[in-house]
Amino acid sequence: MKKVLFAIAFAFFAFAGYQAFAQEPELSPERKQAIDSLALEKVRDLSKYVKLIGSKNTPWSEANRVIDRAEELFAPDAEIGVSSLSKTKIEYYKVRQYLERLMRLNYDRVEIDWYKIQYVSDLQRQPDGTYVGVITIFQTFKGYDAEGRLVYQDTTKKDITVYVKRKETQIGGRLIGFWDVLLGDMRVKETTNK
Amino acid sequence: MLALCFKVNAQVIGDLGDVQMDERELYTMTKQMGQFIHRFNYEEDPSGNRLYPNDKDYRSAAKRKEALPLLFDLDNPRTAGTLRDFFVEDLTKTNNQFFEFLGGDWFSEVSAKFKWKGQEVDVSMILTLEKDGLGSKWVISNVFFSEFQKYFPQGELAEREKHFLHPMSHELDFMNIYKIFKDPEIIEYYASTEYLPDYLTLFFYEIKQGNLKFDHVENVKFHVFQIKNWYFEVSWFNRRGYNSGWLISNLVYLKDSEKEALLKIYQPKR
Repeated sequence: MKKVLFAIAFAFFAFAGYQAFAQEPELSPERKQAIDSLALEKVRDLSKYVKLIGSKNTPWSEANRVIDRAEELFAPDAEIGVSSLSKTKIEYYKVRQYLERLMRLNYDRVEIDWYKIQYVSDLQRQPDGTYVGVITIFQTFKGYDAEGRLVYQDTTKKDITVYVKRKETQIGGRLIGFWDVLLGDMRVKETTNK
Repeated sequence: MLALCFKVNAQVIGDLGDVQMDERELYTMTKQMGQFIHRFNYEEDPSGNRLYPNDKDYRSAAKRKEALPLLFDLDNPRTAGTLRDFFVEDLTKTNNQFFEFLGGDWFSEVSAKFKWKGQEVDVSMILTLEKDGLGSKWVISNVFFSEFQKYFPQGELAEREKHFLHPMSHELDFMNIYKIFKDPEIIEYYASTEYLPDYLTLFFYEIKQGNLKFDHVENVKFHVFQIKNWYFEVSWFNRRGYNSGWLISNLVYLKDSEKEALLKIYQPKR
């Protein structure tokens, strides 16, 4: 009998907890903007890291350290899906694998630049309550040979998944809530190659 | 003209970029389906700023009238002519029809290549958003694969009517049931008149059997039935100019009474 009562009580509290979480108010525009800024900060870090990794002036050991930092921006299972105008089939890479390929590109000099434009989607909740959004950015890439001739260039659209989760941490004995932002899968689509 | 409609100095928070070149094409491009929805509802101004319910122009009918035509593929006469103008007029006249992300009745069609018993084949998966737990998720609601459709031809009505188990068969311990298995190609004629093949279950079965193997996604587009008396399709246009990204690629005036049959194709279990 005790067991049954315990089970009922547990179910009630679990349900009450679920209800409290489910009734968490939707993000206000102000809160959304604050989270957008947090997410963009991560994307901005990524863009800086990509430039450093791609640059032939970055020493090998330094580039590897930057790859470590870049990898920390992403969720552990994040993948990069790449397609080009000539090859629409998506090639999948792990984040580290993608960045290492960038480091090893066979050009004497590369220029990686980011357009000023970016688009930040709404945040939608997935079934487990985590918010998910997508930030779209555009990058130009130019590869030069030893004679300084431009041998390859393209513009790519990068759609980057952003996961936003409410977390709590104890600081000085007080429970402080904060928004944790992590990058997820990134879709890289070539839009022009000249 | 289009560049002027979607001004060029927006959609920038902070200073990620360092490219010193004309970015107008990228500003005007409808970069995400979510942006399509915001532009469709006029929840984003021409400068790319999000509009919220407290903003003066939020969902403004007059502004929407100017913005909506730009969401159509202007290279296609079907989506750039009088039908489009009629649609815009219809929508902004009462201005109470909006495209809601979680409003249902819109689908994603993911065209993919699979290997079917070793051969490359085309399969279209239909996905729809479903509320679940604390949020939502995309779920597969149907599948189109010619090999499955071939198994269930419509057949002539006169022919279908010839095949049945008479209503007193039970008194004979269904001794006549062996006849229905004589011609496997028409076995479904012995099912209820209401019967519809469940392609999704066939799809899962063939995947589990190892006969159908996913290779890659070829294309994605969206089918929207949410707007009263209209259906439209949204496709991705990767091209130069000020009319690119997610745009309306097909538009049909479709009475709501006629929609139900079509919706059943996209989502049989409604």
